[in-house]
Amino acid sequence: MFKSILKAQWKWTRLAVLVCVLGAFAMPLMSVNSNLDTASPGMLISQMQTWGVGYALLAGAVGLLVAWLAWAADHRGHHVYALALPVARWRYVLMRFGAGALFLVPVVIALGVSALLATRTPGVVPAGLQAYPVALTLRFAFAALVAFAIFFAISAASVRAAGVVLGAICAVLVADFLTSAAGLHWQIGMHAVDILMVYPGILSVFSGRWTLIDV
Amino acid sequence: MTFAVETDGLRYHAGKTFALSGVNLHVPTGSIYGFLGPNGAGKTTTIRLLIGLLRPEGGRITVLGEAMPASYVRVLARVGYVPDRPHVYPSLTVAESMAFHAGFHRRWNARWAAELQAQFRLGGDQRVGALSKGETGKLMMLLALAQEPELLMLDEPTDGLDPVVRRDVLEALLAYVSDRQATVLISSHLVHELERICDWVGVMDRGDLVAELPMREFKNGIKRLHVTGAPALLDGAPFSVLGRSPMHGGAEQWLVRGWEPSMRDHLESMGATVTDVIDLDLEDGFVELLRSFREQR
Repeated sequence: MFKSILKAQWKWTRLAVLVCVLGAFAMPLMSVNSNLDTASPGMLISQMQTWGVGYALLAGAVGLLVAWLAWAADHRGHHVYALALPVARWRYVLMRFGAGALFLVPVVIALGVSALLATRTPGVVPAGLQAYPVALTLRFAFAALVAFAIFFAISAASVRAAGVVLGAICAVLVADFLTSAAGLHWQIGMHAVDILMVYPGILSVFSGRWTLIDV
Repeated sequence: MTFAVETDGLRYHAGKTFALSGVNLHVPTGSIYGFLGPNGAGKTTTIRLLIGLLRPEGGRITVLGEAMPASYVRVLARVGYVPDRPHVYPSLTVAESMAFHAGFHRRWNARWAAELQAQFRLGGDQRVGALSKGETGKLMMLLALAQEPELLMLDEPTDGLDPVVRRDVLEALLAYVSDRQATVLISSHLVHELERICDWVGVMDRGDLVAELPMREFKNGIKRLHVTGAPALLDGAPFSVLGRSPMHGGAEQWLVRGWEPSMRDHLESMGATVTDVIDLDLEDGFVELLRSFREQR
């Protein structure tokens, strides 16, 4: 059963995975090559931190794409085919999740290989600084998995449930706008972002330093 | 008589206007049961309840001796389902769809699936999304048959197909049923199609099961009579009057069920004269049955 799911899901996910693999492979090499002439270590760290946002965004995008594609075909058929298969529904969901999670692996490997290659070049890492290719890869893998799990859950739910999530985000943004327009500095949006992004928030893996080369 | 499908007081509602109100369905084991009804009568909803796609709000469902929806995994392994709209993944090819389906069905008969594929002239490399309506219908029937089910639930399987494709699909179905003694529940609003293949018929209208009886009774028993001197009351008549309406000259037109020629004497003993007895084909009988049922409500 899992083999059937894996094969079918691969067919409609492979293009997105390929694009993500290329992106993940290019990013560490580009981040290092574009800073080969940077004079001071401080400036290099600063440049690496700028690229760090790209890793976090790529991890989020990979998770979103793979999760969305995991359910896209079932959504199109209103889940009739899936529900008519002789398999427990929790097991079916688990198999879809497992297949999607496996498709994150090539992207993570591409990023890891690229990060290792980029930092192995002599003279890339100035004296006093360290390269963190493995740490960056592990962090990327975890972030992609978190993003995948969240978007998988949202995508698996009904349109109404997705609407509730979107509505909640919009409500926070509107409340933030209205309170700041009224001169109240409650910063609702900022607090909401903190709850999610600061440890132990579920998205805290996306915040902080994502640098390939650091002190 | 044993039943492959049995419901008892099945209730479900969708939106504000549609409700199944206590449906008692009995599909005899080994029969081809035609599930008739106009669009929106509740046929698709009932079938979706039977295979566990929807949860009933009340009543009991038994399919192949198992309670539904509690035993849906075991039941779905023994049931072939063809929905009213194509449900297979459009980005897969025919061969990939068959492989995907086979992965979930232990009784999948690969050799027979290949034979059906050849019989239906479906190319393995054809993408499902690019198939014509007829080819998609054939593929769905192929998937349902090759899993060798004990019960087939077919929701308008030939709707919109051309006569040639329809014949191919029905021939494959009948060959399977005669080989394996499987039970078939087939819904349609194409009355003539069911007339040829079904031995039982159930008629749905607006969420109610209006009638459920052997096809031969349904076909033979319903007549339209032209009666003069009709009595106002019909006590002890050996047939059922489904409806009566006035005609010119004091005559009346009756729609009756269970009519036999010998019953003419019964009417004449009451002072009435039967001037005409008109045989109704299944479609006329179906329409008249619905009309009389709606008038009674």
